Amino acid sequence: MALSRKTPLERIEYAIIVSTLLLLVVVTVQPILNLLAISLSEPGKVPGMSGLTIVPDGLSFEVWSVLLQHPNVQRGIFNSIFITAVSTVIGVVGTALMAWGLSRPGLPGRKALFILVLVTIVFEPGIIPDYFVNKRLGLLDSYWSVILFKAVNAWYLIILIRFFEEIPKELLEAAELDGANPFQVFWHLVLPLAKPALATISLFYLVFHWNEFFRAMIYLNDQEKWPLQVVLRQFVIDGDKVAIVGANNASNNTGASQINLRALKAGMILLTIVPILAIYPLILKFFTKGTMSGALKG
Amino acid sequence: MTNREEAMISPKFGNVPKSSARRRLGRLALAADGWRRWWPYYVMMAPGILFFLVFHYLPIWEARIAFEQVRIVPPNIWVGIKHFQVLFSSPVFWQVLANTLIISAMKMVFFLPVPIIVALLLNEVRGGSLRKFIQSAIYLPHFLSWVVIAGIFIAALSPTDGAVNNLMGMAGMAPRSFMTDTGAIRWVLVFTEIWRSAGWDSLLYLAAIIAIDQQLYDAAEIDGANRWQKIRHVTLPGIVPTIATLFILNAGMFLNADLNQVINLSNDVVRSKIDIVDTYVYRIGLQTGEYSLATAAGLFKAVLGTMMIVIAHFVSKRLTGKGVW
Repeated sequence: MALSRKTPLERIEYAIIVSTLLLLVVVTVQPILNLLAISLSEPGKVPGMSGLTIVPDGLSFEVWSVLLQHPNVQRGIFNSIFITAVSTVIGVVGTALMAWGLSRPGLPGRKALFILVLVTIVFEPGIIPDYFVNKRLGLLDSYWSVILFKAVNAWYLIILIRFFEEIPKELLEAAELDGANPFQVFWHLVLPLAKPALATISLFYLVFHWNEFFRAMIYLNDQEKWPLQVVLRQFVIDGDKVAIVGANNASNNTGASQINLRALKAGMILLTIVPILAIYPLILKFFTKGTMSGALKG
Repeated sequence: MTNREEAMISPKFGNVPKSSARRRLGRLALAADGWRRWWPYYVMMAPGILFFLVFHYLPIWEARIAFEQVRIVPPNIWVGIKHFQVLFSSPVFWQVLANTLIISAMKMVFFLPVPIIVALLLNEVRGGSLRKFIQSAIYLPHFLSWVVIAGIFIAALSPTDGAVNNLMGMAGMAPRSFMTDTGAIRWVLVFTEIWRSAGWDSLLYLAAIIAIDQQLYDAAEIDGANRWQKIRHVTLPGIVPTIATLFILNAGMFLNADLNQVINLSNDVVRSKIDIVDTYVYRIGLQTGEYSLATAAGLFKAVLGTMMIVIAHFVSKRLTGKGVW
């Protein structure tokens, strides 16, 4: 390719292709950088700021410090981390254990179990029956209602089964001949071999649970238990500024109320993205590979 | 000989017992033998199986309230299809169903081609690090929640200081409040969907492009094909199966206009335009407390949706060899 001569027309074509993609990059990233710039500007200067700028006007961490010291936000951070961590651990363990059994060709009842799982993918009776199941189990208003939502995800289960099936049969048989029982084979052989796949579905679960807001919104009445996404929704989407600014401050125009609302909202949105950005290099590495190989294998 | 008998002669099962009684005994022994070997797997799978039964099958049982009159003091009364009759005679429900179909159709026409184009463009980029940079940027929105994306777009579309109106102002256009504009809000759904997923979805097509035999390109080059001819005659035909699969699968999901997206981008002014079946179920069920009617609407969608996705699966499997699962 590098050796083939390029005509001027081809150069122009190439320039158009690259600039189209770079425009796409700008459209994707600019709105986020704009919010970052607003949240880092001196709050007094925010009202006049354009939506196009990506450079802060002055530099101030006031917005971020107000947000991080706010009890609702702090609780939201704690709740989000707690719910995400617990549900991810439960999800990965439950999925791996179930996938191990389902990946063994001779397992009695294997087909029936597959159907049991597939039915849940194509038929979802809706949120009201889900709500009543949680109510019946006494889970409403408890962290568990959110933690257990899609705790074992059927899609991730299938991905892991496919991966376990790729493990050479000879390895498993050799271990069994050595007298290892299924628990030992799973722990000492399958899990170490499946590390990349486990990392991938861990990230799937992590992102899924961190971003989940709807179930938390309908199951958790108690604001003390709200994850960050629900706090964000109340403040930015529902426009309930009292939640962040505080009722006293809002009516007396004191404290956080003096800070520009637009800047507070910008900061709050970014705060919710921080963990995703923190693991984004890992996401790129594992998600991309997982999706590529899945598509290739079909 | 029947299939079953044939199966039993397989070496695994040893000699075929002659009488049916002995055959049954043999099968029991086999089952016991199987259990001795396989029970550890069932112990390990138990939490998962229990999870699916409780959180996916119990709801199916609970869905029976679609056929019941809920009473404060149990038990509920069986009323048959009464709630479905109410539902089907309600103009709101038909409006909501129409909205769902319109939004899905708009997404299908205007969203689906975008990731294909992005993948074709990305494939032309030669520098590995330039390509990586572009990919890293455009995949990001896929991992943000709809609450966050709605927050970003409420800011970007703000009539006073949003980026879009700032640009329109430069071009001398009057500001427009997209979020509260009944004529614009469906396009906001389409555009935010593109913003969120076009980049990431392009990865699926890119994978298909990379799998195309390099020799085809070499041959085309020898024949003197230029960039566009190669795209038209090698790349596009190579990814047609992927395009077809994703198109059919999308058709199967036609009734899922994305609750999380709509619920965060909706407001009182534009609700009538983007109220979909899922938001309707949520509103009349959990906000108004009409559990039975809401469950009936949810079940209607679920049954229709299941039929569509199963049909889509088999159509896709037959045409392209790839299905939903």
